[in-house]
Amino acid sequence: MIEFDHVTRTYGAKTAVADLSLAIPRGELFALLGPNGAGKTTTIKMLVGLLQPSRGAVRVSGFDIVRDPRDAHLHIGYVPDEPCLYDKLTGREFLWFIADMFGMPRHLAADRIAAEIEHFELAEFADDLAESYSLGMKQRLVFASSLLHSPDVLVLDEPMVGLDPRSVRIVKDLLAARTREGMTVFMSTHTLAMAEEMADRVGIMVRGQLRFLGTVAELREQMAIESTSLEQLYLELTSSRAGRRPEEP
Amino acid sequence: MTPPFALSGVDAVPEGHVGTCCRLPGVDEEAGVFFRLRAKVAWALCQTMFMTARLRLSLVVILSAMFWGSLFGIFVEAFTFLEALHAEVISLLFNAFFSSLMVMLVFSTGILLYGGMYCSPEARLLMTLPAREEAVFSHKFQEAMWFSSWGFVLLGSPMLVAYGVVRDSPWTYFVLLLPFMLAFVVIPATVGGICCMAMVAWLPKLRLHALSIALGAACVGAVWLAWTTLSTVRADSMSAAWFEQTFSRLAITEQKLFPSWWLSSGLIEAARSGANTSERLAALAEAVKFLALLIANGMLLQLVAGWLARRAYRLGFSQLSAEVPARRRRRIGWFDQMLVNAGPASGRPLRLLIVKDLRLFRRDISQWSQFVIFFGLLGLYFSNVRSFNYNNAYASMIGFLNLAVVGLILSTFTTRFVFPMISLEGRRFWILGLLPVHRDHIVWSKFLFSFLGGLFPCCGLVLLSDLMLGLSRQAILVHEICCVVLCMGLSGIAVGLGARMPDLREASPAKIASGFGGTLSLVISSLFIMVVVVAAALPTQLSLVSSALGTGGLGGILAWVGDGPGVMISLCFIVAVGLGATFLPLWLGLRSFRRLEP
Repeated sequence: MIEFDHVTRTYGAKTAVADLSLAIPRGELFALLGPNGAGKTTTIKMLVGLLQPSRGAVRVSGFDIVRDPRDAHLHIGYVPDEPCLYDKLTGREFLWFIADMFGMPRHLAADRIAAEIEHFELAEFADDLAESYSLGMKQRLVFASSLLHSPDVLVLDEPMVGLDPRSVRIVKDLLAARTREGMTVFMSTHTLAMAEEMADRVGIMVRGQLRFLGTVAELREQMAIESTSLEQLYLELTSSRAGRRPEEP
Repeated sequence: MTPPFALSGVDAVPEGHVGTCCRLPGVDEEAGVFFRLRAKVAWALCQTMFMTARLRLSLVVILSAMFWGSLFGIFVEAFTFLEALHAEVISLLFNAFFSSLMVMLVFSTGILLYGGMYCSPEARLLMTLPAREEAVFSHKFQEAMWFSSWGFVLLGSPMLVAYGVVRDSPWTYFVLLLPFMLAFVVIPATVGGICCMAMVAWLPKLRLHALSIALGAACVGAVWLAWTTLSTVRADSMSAAWFEQTFSRLAITEQKLFPSWWLSSGLIEAARSGANTSERLAALAEAVKFLALLIANGMLLQLVAGWLARRAYRLGFSQLSAEVPARRRRRIGWFDQMLVNAGPASGRPLRLLIVKDLRLFRRDISQWSQFVIFFGLLGLYFSNVRSFNYNNAYASMIGFLNLAVVGLILSTFTTRFVFPMISLEGRRFWILGLLPVHRDHIVWSKFLFSFLGGLFPCCGLVLLSDLMLGLSRQAILVHEICCVVLCMGLSGIAVGLGARMPDLREASPAKIASGFGGTLSLVISSLFIMVVVVAAALPTQLSLVSSALGTGGLGGILAWVGDGPGVMISLCFIVAVGLGATFLPLWLGLRSFRRLEP
């Protein structure tokens, strides 16, 4: 569903992502971890078409994001770390705008909008202007908008920022349900507990390189550490020994 | 080569449920979606403005109407004069006006599109949706064109309506005015958009340099034209020779390939009231031909821009996103250090706060560049006022008008930049709130920063104006005292009201300034300037009237009022008003700021 094919992205002399090759199949929830400046956001920006790779290709549902951006976007739902809404639109109007941009038939859009408003408990403020929303309300609305067209791939950049515990639970349940139905989730996060709890596989990036790819169990095995928490494994992998070459899973 | 982390059995063929519920919308459908978006946003904006900013809305409408009416009156007078004496120069004036406007529209739309298409959160959202690049361009273009050209409508319409009225033009001229203006603005605006997209996509490294060079060249050209026009013929300004020389310089704008020439020619043809129907129809046909030329070129450029957007927009967006801002190490300047160490230790917190604001001002290009542009233009104008060889009465009046202009420019700065300072400080209150600094120091530091920052350039400009006008020492002294009072009062009003009516939720200083408090600050500042300047000008003007009336009767009374005692009374009044305008808002602001709970 998602393919990074030898993708490199440079910022001037600095290499933000180096020769990333990664494939994520249908129905998988993948969590990308890494310290600040590791290249996670660059990877996500390339995946959603905000940034073009310097080398290599990114494909979503078989569509190259640079060559066929519109076809690829039809299959992507994106929740950025900083939610962007139109201040002078209400939540409901924003959802309609997104539905129209995805060419959804009116009757279907109306059903989906009603369903997402219920899922994310937006009804109370759906008809208020977005300028009056808190960060958590905005984030819930963006979640709703990203799922409106039932995308094949959902890309989440730090998805839980600003959400209250109840909303976090809603999102977790929803992600679990959608991945069971076949949706692929690509998530960047610093919340290791969430990655450990939800991800089928995790990838750990350090200085633009994918240091590890696999399940948490595989990581434990590879690191040959008795410890049980992902946090300890993560710290071990990203600390002083992080300068090693990427290892094959 | 097989990717090292590739899984066997990854879906090669798209397989999902997207196809069942969405599809790529057609061109018209997409345009409709964006149209509805703009309509809804505009409607919500109008509603919000009507509900929450009635004072600002009323002021904008009333002042715009007054401005329009005044311009209309001036243009009627001007065209009547020209129609009687120099009808042939109207075409030249139109060409000069429209061609300079054309250049400004290219730059302003280009810059607005750069912000809207590449740097705005909305652009980031749209780039992740299945929207056509040309549709996004068109959406942002319409927004940018509106923002860059509304001034043209406000400035151009009274001029063109006045021209039609003076020439007794047929009704078709007035009907064609708006289509002509709209068709014209599309051309430079689209050129600005094309240049913007091309520079971002293909000249990423040269973008800043290219823009700076182009802007610099345009500014140098404008300054050269103004300077040579005003300075070369000082001795016989306003004479026939001066006009001839000036018009020969402006003839450069009469190029038949310029859209400005098509516009001016079309308008002149449309305004022609022929002797009979066939002449009128011929003139109308000629005007419509020029309108068609403008529309056709505008549409062609739109096609080019759409084609370019498909090829260059995503590329440019990506390149711009990949740019890493250069790290700039800042050191504490000697001036800052000197300011911090000057004076007793008890005043150090206050001085530290002033230095902090000074640093923020220096490092914010949008603040100091506007300051430099406006005061620079005033300086350019003041250094040329001597060219017009005014007599004493005029020179005195112009001196006071210049003082008012300096005050008005300063009031826009205090409203735009000083008024929001307390609100912005409120957002960072957790920093200042934890420091051992008295809250009053924060307010006083803003006041001193604004007062001292405005004092030197304003007094310098007023001095320049007075010296160029050849005013007496006494008049210069009066103007300088007024200028100090204006700087003090305007700073007091902006800081005091800013502390009295802070908007702690808003992060944008522009939005804070355009709210109720900012508008009120601007209105009170304008009234204060008016009171000070009128009070200062009154004795001088009475003295001039008395010299015309003679020494007996009313003339004698006016002479006494306009002489020493009158000047002293007016100065005392001005100082009293200035102290009131400074300390009353500051007192209100301090009282409110002490109780502020962020």
